[in-house]
Amino acid sequence: MGFLSIDLGTILFTLLNTLILFLGLKHFLFQPVQDILAKRQEAVDQTLKDAAAAKERAEQAESEYTEKLAAAKEESTAMVRNATRRAQQRSEEIVAAAKAEAAGIMKQNAEELEREKRKAESELRAEVSGLAVLVAEKVVGREINPDDHARLIDEFIDSVGDAE
Amino acid sequence: MQIMANFAVPKILEGPTELSVDGANIIASFKLFGITINFTETVVLEWIVIAVILGVCAFLTRGMKVQGVSKRQVIAEMAVETVTNLVRDTMGKRWLFFTPYVATIFCFSIFGSLISLLGLRAVTSDFSVLLTWAAITFILITATKIRFGGIGGYLKGFADPIPVMLPINILSEVATPTAMALRHFGNIAGGSIIMGLVYYGLASLCRMIGLQIPILTVGIPAVLSLYFDLFSDFMQAFIFIMLMMVFISNAGPSEEETA
Repeated sequence: MGFLSIDLGTILFTLLNTLILFLGLKHFLFQPVQDILAKRQEAVDQTLKDAAAAKERAEQAESEYTEKLAAAKEESTAMVRNATRRAQQRSEEIVAAAKAEAAGIMKQNAEELEREKRKAESELRAEVSGLAVLVAEKVVGREINPDDHARLIDEFIDSVGDAE
Repeated sequence: MQIMANFAVPKILEGPTELSVDGANIIASFKLFGITINFTETVVLEWIVIAVILGVCAFLTRGMKVQGVSKRQVIAEMAVETVTNLVRDTMGKRWLFFTPYVATIFCFSIFGSLISLLGLRAVTSDFSVLLTWAAITFILITATKIRFGGIGGYLKGFADPIPVMLPINILSEVATPTAMALRHFGNIAGGSIIMGLVYYGLASLCRMIGLQIPILTVGIPAVLSLYFDLFSDFMQAFIFIMLMMVFISNAGPSEEETA
């Protein structure tokens, strides 16, 4: 055959052979490699998806814990505040009770003192009036009606007491 | 010469004693519907090439795994990804289905050319082979134009920009695949002729200076073979698929217009 001849048989067979090689390459090279690549991509996607899910779970847990922690903190603060308030209340009550008691005792003491004072006063008055009558009798030399004079003397003592 | 022929030098060691530039030999010939169909050397070589390529592919992709990848699998994956990326970069994403065809032509061309290293005829030094591939490219270009522009748009394209351009447009339409086929064929066939000439010339030189065994043909042609066989084979295969991809993808609207 000539060097530059165009041969119909060769063209037809070449066409057929090209088709065979095309299908062969697809079947023996591209199909398996693309399958593997697709599978690998799938595996990578799955891994990424798992990682994303795990991350989401972790974030959720974190926010949950943060929330719980905040709630606990708030609770403890409230407890401390409550306890403080109660303690203060209690101390105030105690102080108030103590004050009341002290005031009661003071008042009692003052009353008693007053009573003692009154008693002493009346005793003193009786004694002084008796003495005065006695002195007056001695001075006047005669008996004085104690009742008449007792009034006078009382008046006198009262005026002296006022002057004091 | 006559005296030296008395020494028994095996025929195989004599080197080329004549140079002929022939096409492929016809192995068989049969008639189909009155048309003579030749079964040539080229077709048998194509089968060898196909068997080698598919054998390599089957070997590379055997027992592939998702994890714990073997070296063979890495090579297979790299090959597929390289071609895929080349198609994506040259033609665009929507032409990705084209990848196996590009790989087919590239493998067929490069292995078909490299078979000459084994002393066989290069498949690609048969013009009919390149013509077939160019015809496929022409059909794909035309199909793409019709697909995106309709038959009306395709026919109108010939009278663009003015009807006077009609003959020139038809010529350029035909020139595209013809040029592709001739470029590839010319490079490989020319390379093989040059290599044949070099072998023949060196053998003749040896005979002239009285060497019975053409020692000069050892080594010296290998340097030239690096270019004419290895480099040229690879370049032509690459140029062919690049032109094919560019012409076919240019026949349709660009990616941005359709996106």
